[in-house]
Amino acid sequence: MRESTLKPQAAEPHLPGETGVWMFIIGDVVIFSLFFGVFIYYRAADVALYAASQLTLNQVLGAFNTVLLLSSSWFVALAVHAARHARARLSARLLVAAAGCGIGFVIVKYFEWSEKIGAGYTLVTNDFFMYYFLLTGIHLLHVLIGIGVLSFLWSVIVKGDTSENTIVVLESGASFWHLVDILWIALFALLYLMR
Amino acid sequence: MNSKSQMVCIWGGFGFAAVCLMGFILAGFIPPMSPSLSAREIAAIYSENTLSMRFAVLLIMTSAGFICFFVAGIASQLQRIEGGTGPYTMAQISAGSLTALIFVFAAVFYTQAAFRPDRAPEFIRIMNDLGWTTMLMTFAPFIFQNFAIALCILSDQNETPIFPRWVGYYNFWVAVSFIPGGMLTFFKTGPFAWDGLFVWWVPFTMFFGWYVLMFFIVRKAALTGVPGTT
Repeated sequence: MRESTLKPQAAEPHLPGETGVWMFIIGDVVIFSLFFGVFIYYRAADVALYAASQLTLNQVLGAFNTVLLLSSSWFVALAVHAARHARARLSARLLVAAAGCGIGFVIVKYFEWSEKIGAGYTLVTNDFFMYYFLLTGIHLLHVLIGIGVLSFLWSVIVKGDTSENTIVVLESGASFWHLVDILWIALFALLYLMR
Repeated sequence: MNSKSQMVCIWGGFGFAAVCLMGFILAGFIPPMSPSLSAREIAAIYSENTLSMRFAVLLIMTSAGFICFFVAGIASQLQRIEGGTGPYTMAQISAGSLTALIFVFAAVFYTQAAFRPDRAPEFIRIMNDLGWTTMLMTFAPFIFQNFAIALCILSDQNETPIFPRWVGYYNFWVAVSFIPGGMLTFFKTGPFAWDGLFVWWVPFTMFFGWYVLMFFIVRKAALTGVPGTT
């Protein structure tokens, strides 16, 4: 293929990572947009049930998870920046911090779900909890895959190689991790906050 | 490698999509019957359309064979990436073969729903349930076939890659769109039931879209790979 996806261009504004990654990211956004659209559509038909069920959610844990993912995204952005300045060791450490926040998100989610299931709410309780468990579950799967991606990025940068190819790999993985973050912010707003 | 034999196998992808879709249309599966229907209602569907159901299921059964050829067509290109039959090529073959088996088993169950129209409605419904569950909940083989193809394409070290890299990411995307399929086990109505948006319509569109798109992509890769055919 001539459309060389491995261009440096670090100084100029450009599409981060390789072009192909954006095919996945846009595709994933389309699927989640369907999730959000369907949720809003069915919610409008029974606002009382959704509002009452929403009150049982733990907004503090939800907000804490939002902070965790935002920090994590920030660490990843810093890691890419460090790699561009040939500071591979710093970049690797920042990726560890980012993955740590991701693991924190999973742990918080575990306690949040346990609390709900312990109180008798499951995905067959009502429509709101169906969406709550399925959408946060599918998102959690993204977080787990993302932690895998961050580990892979770490294994690349820890070798000390900050060539253009490595930067493109870092940017591609970082773009996916930002997607995971943005999807969570949309989910947090829809499930926990929307009145 | 023989270019003609490759082409025969690759056309299997097109054959599958065409024959299977004809089967689905003839069976009246678009849109699917709701899982919330009573046993009597399900039995009525099969007793009113016994003959067309039997023919439709034969088409679905036939289409499964075409999958095997297409899996071989894809494998021939993955071999070029791996420089022989590597792990991803083998993973693609085994996961792809299991996908074909899904259609074989689903066809057997649907056939039994139409086999004896005088059976008690409950028995007809259980065969119908088995057919739909086999068809739609079995996301894993297809997803892992996507993964094998995606990982293979993204690991391509050739000077001129066999596939464009976006095809790898496209396969990851198709895989992700299939994950909600497993949710049909929990619901009889709504978007996660077997006639819902995320278990039927999205996977249905992505699945047949994948066969058509991959047919053209693999065909192009094979044509550029065989000297004298470009």
